[in-house]
Amino acid sequence: MSKRRLMFSKLGMAKYISHLDLLRCFTRSIMRAELPVVYSQGFNPHQKMTFSLPLSVGVTSGCECADIEFRDGIADAEIMERLNASLPPDIRILSVGDPKISANDIFAAEYRVTLLCDDPDGNAARAVDNFFAQPEVAIIKRTKKKGEQEMNLMDFVIGAETPKITDEGIEFYLTLSAGGQKNLKPEIAVEALIKYLRSNRGPDAAGYNIHRIKILYDKNNPKIFK
Amino acid sequence: MANFKTQYEDCLRRVQKPARYIGNEFGSVHKEKTDDMMSFAFCFPDVYEVGMSHLGMKILYHMLNERDDTVCERVFAPWGDMEDEMRGRAIPLLSMESYTPVREFDIVGFTLQYEMSYSNVVNMLDLAGIPLRTSERGAGDPFVCCGGPCAYHAEPLAELVDFFILGEGEEVNNEIMDAYKKWRGSGGSRDDFLLSIVALGGVYVPKFYDVEFNDDNTIKRFEPNRPGVPKRVRKRIILDFDKCYAPEKLIVPFMETVHDRIQLELFRGCIRGCRFCQAGYIYRPVRERGVERLTKIAESCIKNTGYDEMSMTSLSTSDYRNLQELIDSLLELTVDKRINLSLPSLRVDNFSMELMEKVQKVKKSGLTFAPEAGTQRLRDVINKNVVESDLIRTSKIAFGGGYNRIKLYFMLGLPTETYDDVKGIADLAKKVIDEGFFSIPPEERRGRSVSITVSTSFFVPKPFTPFQWEPQNLISEMEDKARFLKENIRSKKIVYNWHNSDISLLEAVFAKGDRRLSEVLITAQKLGCKFDGWSDFFDYDKWLEAFKIHNINPAFYANRRIPYDEILPWDYADIGVPKSFLIKEHKKAYEGRTTPGCREKCSGCGAASFGGGVCFE
Repeated sequence: MSKRRLMFSKLGMAKYISHLDLLRCFTRSIMRAELPVVYSQGFNPHQKMTFSLPLSVGVTSGCECADIEFRDGIADAEIMERLNASLPPDIRILSVGDPKISANDIFAAEYRVTLLCDDPDGNAARAVDNFFAQPEVAIIKRTKKKGEQEMNLMDFVIGAETPKITDEGIEFYLTLSAGGQKNLKPEIAVEALIKYLRSNRGPDAAGYNIHRIKILYDKNNPKIFK
Repeated sequence: MANFKTQYEDCLRRVQKPARYIGNEFGSVHKEKTDDMMSFAFCFPDVYEVGMSHLGMKILYHMLNERDDTVCERVFAPWGDMEDEMRGRAIPLLSMESYTPVREFDIVGFTLQYEMSYSNVVNMLDLAGIPLRTSERGAGDPFVCCGGPCAYHAEPLAELVDFFILGEGEEVNNEIMDAYKKWRGSGGSRDDFLLSIVALGGVYVPKFYDVEFNDDNTIKRFEPNRPGVPKRVRKRIILDFDKCYAPEKLIVPFMETVHDRIQLELFRGCIRGCRFCQAGYIYRPVRERGVERLTKIAESCIKNTGYDEMSMTSLSTSDYRNLQELIDSLLELTVDKRINLSLPSLRVDNFSMELMEKVQKVKKSGLTFAPEAGTQRLRDVINKNVVESDLIRTSKIAFGGGYNRIKLYFMLGLPTETYDDVKGIADLAKKVIDEGFFSIPPEERRGRSVSITVSTSFFVPKPFTPFQWEPQNLISEMEDKARFLKENIRSKKIVYNWHNSDISLLEAVFAKGDRRLSEVLITAQKLGCKFDGWSDFFDYDKWLEAFKIHNINPAFYANRRIPYDEILPWDYADIGVPKSFLIKEHKKAYEGRTTPGCREKCSGCGAASFGGGVCFE
């Protein structure tokens, strides 16, 4: 029996699949692929599978992680090949390997954010920088345990790069706290930014795209989680 | 087109359950459409999770897509929030696979599963930007057709639908595509195409018939208005069901659907002949698939879907002749893969615990039975050949076997029903507890306690049944009966649920209505009627307003006893069972005499004229 770590991408319209639906999708794909997966004991046996850092609905990703237990004797390459043949097209396995790093060590995630708007005055980049230079931005964070709470967005922002203007809109990279200790959904930061731009006569974004680029672990010496 | 996709995606950010609209599920078919190909938009007039539970859609979608010359794509009704987003951005109704506007398809086909989806048909046509009335459609517009159980009689949609397909689509749908291909290159008129498919049989074109009404609103004359059009349209069926097409690859939705499992269709039709049941008459004769074929289909479906549940579906699954053998054969495929087998419809007279133990190895929660009526007298009237002792015996077996919840389904408002019959429902439920549970010695009881759920719906008289001439109870009568039943249920172990009476009235109107209701439907849609099967949307007052605008009294259709010699709006449809047989059954109902099932004794219903199935076993 061995636990394998599957890194996968979730692109296109698959970004609208909820975490629960994704779990079901993997279960069924593994059944179709006839992979020797390990089941839990108990009244309602299920495939032993854990996803670290669930992705918000509406966000695409190139670095999702699932740890799945297989019975011995199946090669990583075969898991990848058979699963890719049975997964829907918008979900692709990128690598299969040993889970060397614990998901508990995750502390951040980096996102590519695209605000869908033009930059007629040419000051969009500066406006975004100004937003992230503020010491305090109030946001409302909802948790199951504590309900709605007001918090400071900047406590979660680890880094925000200066935007560049592309054909699609204003694009920048944003690193936010992520993981079990401290976590922020990227759309909360992006929506606060859009609100700020709007009220400061900046560009009015009709929408946005968020794509998770990488997950980081080891706060003191950040490395890419895989 | 690409433009719509971006805008459409933008809507998805703002709606609940965006997974309803994304498509791209495993198993969905994406074909490049070239100019020489034909396109068929398969529309289900309800939300995705309801439509994707429907077996008929899966069959016909995959069947049409197996043709090299045809692209078939799915369309569902957007929920209210999505509709608002789409209308706000002037996005027309789009297909799921390629986001193509539905109006650009060659044929737009709706499946009619229940009458309360008719307003959604109108709303979807409107969203698609397709002219609502057939008389307004011309070159460049698609043909709009309907199939499914309600299409045997859908005169209320007559002004909106170019043609109806009566019966099973596995053969005739292909013939229609062939005819379309031929017609498209011929330079013929729209009527030429319609005439060419009328010749196939099983196709009803409402505009080829003239209907005249008497002053009292009854039908005076219902006749074809051109040569080559038959007075009656006979339904099409697949005689050899074992050889009939069954999809071996299915779409596996991302989101949870209502029936989220493999549906293995054992047979079509039902041997029973319950007198209220339309399906029991329109699907005659019973035709089975053999164990070998079913096992093969099951094997492919398991391989191609990854589902962990397979249900053996049919109108009355436990009537399958080789059920034991089939279950043994299926279990060989399912046990190792931890796939649950389930039996959806159980009859109390042939229930065996051994069977139950076999099929539901993992979850043991509830069982559902449908005695339909509370007293033996009324069960004889409706020909539900179930006796009380069977139900008690069955409950005893079930409770003894570890089940602790039983659901019982009944109908209120059946013909000849008295308040004694209504009280009989409460008495029967109590007996299930007293004699089914408390008669088991305490040391042998598996659970500490049990619960019974009693659900009632209101009887809706349906065309093609012996009760088609019956009036429905008035809303006030229905509500009195439900209240009376509630008062008579005193045990805390019994929970009582009942269905909305306004909806039942509307269902009766559209089940038995004529083509004058087309304009009512169009008006109702303008007033905002849609998703009438959903309490979130159903608005009875809007419907009353629509009836009033067109000076139509719904009671004429729902609450009137029709004499046998009156021309019925659905007389054009020949289901293979003649009116004379239905009259005989109707009279027997009033005498409280039952009719045995097909395998016990042939009652000569006329279905033998198809030349196959149970009639020749």
